[in-house]
Amino acid sequence: MTGEILRRLAFLPVTLFVVATLVFLALRALPGSTVDMLASHFATTGLREQLIAQLGLDRSLWEQYLIYMGELIRFDLGRSFITGKDVTVMVWETLPVTIELAVASLLVMLVTGLGMGLAAAARPGSVLDGVLRFVAMTLFALPWFWFGILLILVFSLWLGWLPAFGRLPPTVNYEPITNLILIDSVLQGRPDLIGPWLTHLILPSLTVGLTTAGVLMRLARSGIIETSKLDFVRTARMKGVPGRRIYLRHILRNAALGILTVIGLQFGAMLGGSVIAEVVFGYPGIGRMMVDAVLTRDYAVAQGAALVLAVLYVLVNLATDLAYRWADPRLRRDHGP
Amino acid sequence: MADQSGSAPTLGAASVGSAGLVRQVLRSLPWVVAALFVLAALLAPVLAAYDPIDAVGGPMQPLFSQGHLLGTDGFGRDQASRILYGLRPMLIVSLGAVALALVLGGAYGLISGVHGGRVDWAMMRGVDILMSFPLILAAILVLAALGASLLNLTLAVAMSQLPIFARLARALAKGEAARDYVMAARAAGFTQAHIMLREVAPNLLRPLLVQATSVVALAALTAAALSYLGLGVRPPTPDLGYMVREGQELIFIAPEQTVLPGILIAVFALAVSFCGDQLADRETGGAGL
Repeated sequence: MTGEILRRLAFLPVTLFVVATLVFLALRALPGSTVDMLASHFATTGLREQLIAQLGLDRSLWEQYLIYMGELIRFDLGRSFITGKDVTVMVWETLPVTIELAVASLLVMLVTGLGMGLAAAARPGSVLDGVLRFVAMTLFALPWFWFGILLILVFSLWLGWLPAFGRLPPTVNYEPITNLILIDSVLQGRPDLIGPWLTHLILPSLTVGLTTAGVLMRLARSGIIETSKLDFVRTARMKGVPGRRIYLRHILRNAALGILTVIGLQFGAMLGGSVIAEVVFGYPGIGRMMVDAVLTRDYAVAQGAALVLAVLYVLVNLATDLAYRWADPRLRRDHGP
Repeated sequence: MADQSGSAPTLGAASVGSAGLVRQVLRSLPWVVAALFVLAALLAPVLAAYDPIDAVGGPMQPLFSQGHLLGTDGFGRDQASRILYGLRPMLIVSLGAVALALVLGGAYGLISGVHGGRVDWAMMRGVDILMSFPLILAAILVLAALGASLLNLTLAVAMSQLPIFARLARALAKGEAARDYVMAARAAGFTQAHIMLREVAPNLLRPLLVQATSVVALAALTAAALSYLGLGVRPPTPDLGYMVREGQELIFIAPEQTVLPGILIAVFALAVSFCGDQLADRETGGAGL
């Protein structure tokens, strides 16, 4: 077990190196170059040449790659080609916003997904089970972006209960320290931030959380039902173990393994979903920053954002995998060569 | 994943078999709906009253106006015709991408799982790297690199789904490889290739196909989402995802322009999901996914 953890951790830099290279290649192989994009902003030829030299785009791909990697090791993500802003600073401003949204979405998903899954698995084949399965399927089949727009339509335009756009109202004066509003409100003694922050967070996190809850519900349900059919459960029943104890100690504990994996995998869907939700709701997170950067071919920014999201995702994946191994005694010993 | 070996067919299927006529109709409904989508997309040139790209009337005509059942958009294009043609990219991308991902990912996972050991470890780290990007971000990067087009959208969605199939096939193959019949085949001296293709692969096919049916919906949704972001089919070519985007800007005056294309995406995804669910049910006897 310890060996496996060390092996996975030792592999982490390799993964990150390959990820960084893939991101570099993906974005430098772009068909429409940043220069043309910039040239349309600043039409004079002299200025264009100056920009190319300044951005290092006149060098060979190899040189650009080495420079990029060298900067990366020093945690320097470069500067935006369009605004000239430091990408590290931009990431620092947007990543906490996305983390807030992802965590809130995860909570929505866990509560609704597990709740529905447990309720449905309690009596498979019942009317409640049927209804919940239908709801789960519908939630899964909703296009995330469209569901967000529907929520805006109903709760913002028709009912006027919740804001449709942004993270905080423009009237609120907020000087970020960590840029995590819950923490900053404590650090700065600003409880007034929490209300507006929450009302802006509700619709985006419902969009992501509910559309991902369907998968969790289905897997929680099937995991519990499958497990309850296994021999050891029957043995426990025959031994006269009380039903509640069988459910908690035998069935749920075994089904939890599968559920754990799903939650880890869903975190990726969550990050992806937050990209969409951020665009729909004009939420200033790193996903929206990345999409904007891709559309304007600002590849220093797109590179930085993709890299940071990938690193985050790799770490979560690793943590899930290790948690899974830790939770399943059968996997604590590696069956390798 | 939960232990798949416990999913042998059981009497649970009886709860489905005892259904009446209503239930039969309900069960065939998703298949009919999915078939209707395919038909409508194929017959779009016949069914559509107007060219989907040309301005054919005054802009922003409401629903049920004369000659334009679903009204016209901001450019005076017929919404009904655009929706019909807009089905095409969604169907092509979702079905094409899943087929591609099933074949490539399934083969990859099979090799990895049956081989085991160092090969398996190295191959799965390869998948890890592919999975180092959340699905939709991987697709965004592919589209950023290749440029937005129908083919590239298919490739991007396929690539984002490849790890799903690779991991599932690998997990299943690994489970199968530990079973007695594989050991017997090894002892009997069959080659690795024979064991993979003739012994293990047939046992993976059904779960993989069930998985494929259930990810067609995901593929359609991913494709629609990418189009929504402006990374799919280039306008003015009609596409449901991008129509939702265009309609969102008119949400104050004509919410139906964003709601209607979205409903169609949702209905298609829902129908295909139910089809997948029925297959999964048949597979596992009622307790399925």
